[in-house]
Amino acid sequence: MQFIQQLINGVTIGSFYALVALGYTMVYGVLKMINFAHGDLFMWGAYLGLTGMTLLVGWATQGSAWMIAPVAILVILVVALTGVLVERVAYRPLRSAGRLAPIISALGVAFILESLARNLYGAKWQTYPSGVTPSGGLMLSGGVRIGIMQIAVLIASFVLMGALYLFVQRTRLGMAMRAVSLDANVSRLMGVDVDRIISVVFLIGPGLGGAAGLIVALYYGSFDFTLGWTFGLKAFIAAILGGIGNIPGAMLGGMLLGVVETLASGYISPQWKDVIAYIVLILILLFRPTGLLGERIAEKV
Amino acid sequence: MKKFALPLLALILTLTLFTACGGSGGGTIKIGLQGPMTGDYAYEGKGFENAVKMLVEQTNAAGGINGKKVELIVEDDAGDPTQSALVAQRLVDAKVIAVIGAYNSTATEPASAIYNEAGILHITPSSTAVRLTTKGYPRFFRVCFLDDRQGLFAAKFMQQVMGAKNIGILHDNSTYAQGLAEETKKYAEEMGLTIGFYDAINPDDQDFTPILTKIGAANLDAVFFTGYHSQAGLLLKQSKELGLNIKWVGGNAANNPVMVEIAGLGAARGMYVITEPLPKDLNYAEAKQFVADYKAKYGEEPASVWTIMAGEAFNVIRYAIEQTKSTDPKVLAEYLHNTMKNVNGLTGPILGWDEKGDRRGTIHVAYVIDDKGNFVLNSVQPTP
Repeated sequence: MQFIQQLINGVTIGSFYALVALGYTMVYGVLKMINFAHGDLFMWGAYLGLTGMTLLVGWATQGSAWMIAPVAILVILVVALTGVLVERVAYRPLRSAGRLAPIISALGVAFILESLARNLYGAKWQTYPSGVTPSGGLMLSGGVRIGIMQIAVLIASFVLMGALYLFVQRTRLGMAMRAVSLDANVSRLMGVDVDRIISVVFLIGPGLGGAAGLIVALYYGSFDFTLGWTFGLKAFIAAILGGIGNIPGAMLGGMLLGVVETLASGYISPQWKDVIAYIVLILILLFRPTGLLGERIAEKV
Repeated sequence: MKKFALPLLALILTLTLFTACGGSGGGTIKIGLQGPMTGDYAYEGKGFENAVKMLVEQTNAAGGINGKKVELIVEDDAGDPTQSALVAQRLVDAKVIAVIGAYNSTATEPASAIYNEAGILHITPSSTAVRLTTKGYPRFFRVCFLDDRQGLFAAKFMQQVMGAKNIGILHDNSTYAQGLAEETKKYAEEMGLTIGFYDAINPDDQDFTPILTKIGAANLDAVFFTGYHSQAGLLLKQSKELGLNIKWVGGNAANNPVMVEIAGLGAARGMYVITEPLPKDLNYAEAKQFVADYKAKYGEEPASVWTIMAGEAFNVIRYAIEQTKSTDPKVLAEYLHNTMKNVNGLTGPILGWDEKGDRRGTIHVAYVIDDKGNFVLNSVQPTP
């Protein structure tokens, strides 16, 4: 029974990794660039959510679950627009400057966003006002328990991931995105506005990241400014594991990483968790260098 | 006339020097206090000064020690080891017989070597680093307790008050928390407790549900977490969300109201926290008198336990001089090592010192988090 409980724990953590991993994978798919600022955009989702919630709770004098909806819309909008702004200012001018310059620029943005959060909100642990998140849960047989928040988080994650998948596969804009990711120059010749598509990618990726930040903060109730680093790194690894550039791959990679980590913590020790998780990662990459669902680059050449 | 001038001058000078010496040596007892009056720990240094000054004034108003007035010399070491060596030399030159200080172990270490060389009695109110008393200095003492006493107290608390037989210990791999966890494990095993779980978390993590699920399945009577308050808060919150009924005990690093904020009231209520008591919670007549006098004189209660410890250090010196009728540091040190036992101090009974100069017993107490989220002294404490 403990095993089932650990699987539930693992899938919960994994769905957070997956949500954040989507942002890395989308940008990489279209630009072949790793947006290291994504983890910190995600972290800003948590902070903006905190500000929104605190204001709303202050206004209504009591926390309530409906407040999540307006705050979520605000957070997604602000983080998405920040993402577009970051692309305009820090990435677009460097698009023809080789591979290294945009990576350094992205790292720079990451440090700026992290320092901003620390300086504006302070280095202390932040806690969400009480009464916003519902507590309680379902007791299954054998002492296995799923919290209401765990169910909510899983549903929210799968809905967001599913919507994104359908968007990319079924809409004209999604088709244009896939075209740009295959070959930006040919897409341009075919009449696709590549700059606009890239802006859309930087609207959706960070928007999803902001939503993930809010969800993570609501779930754990507290965090500090290192949240972006902690989750960002793991999510980046999940994206590589699943095959970077591939949306279902990010989902699979996140879940797998979450479950492996959890089983390693629960059955061996949290001290050995990372050792085991990274051994699994290296083994998978040895056998499938492009990740679990990654495309076979060799065929292209 | 002229040829008498030089010897006369010499005679006058000699006489003046003699009287000067006689005046300082015979009339007053010089005691030094060094602490961080400026810098990061200035608050603690100010507490030292306030506490000792007040007690010196009280002593002198009551006629001094054995009829001699006490002269206190305060020096600022800023918590810095270099500065500490300088002020220590200055106190030695001022011919003090005993020194109280310093606050932090880093500053106490260089000073203790200088006082040892000069043959002065040296008592630190607050430096807990183990190595300070491992150098074989015969006149160096502490009135505070080593970190391992917290582990001993925690083990006793879980056994005697919580009735635990099978306990868990969880740390966070920091030097401090791991050390405390190891000490607690050692004492718990000596007392016959079973260590049903012993592991560490990674403090950078946000999610502790895997390890909590494991702890929940281990059926422990109590779990002692030796790490810091933010992780303690997350552990409490997540164990409640998993529906686990873990009986948590925190160490003194968990002694912070932010922990309750992170955990939420429902999850934090009933958790025990082992820590040094606040001065206001010291349940001894001597302590209550000290806190009341302090408040009357300075307008606020001492907030730090180290303030009252500095007062304790002075009282120990005073008591030893009274009992031995001597101001020879060697005699005083021998008295502390061998004879002074079961005396009522400001911070509870002084059981004496071991051969290294570490105080016996412990001061730690158990707090419990009440329905409002406040830390209140638990009604039952283990026997010392």
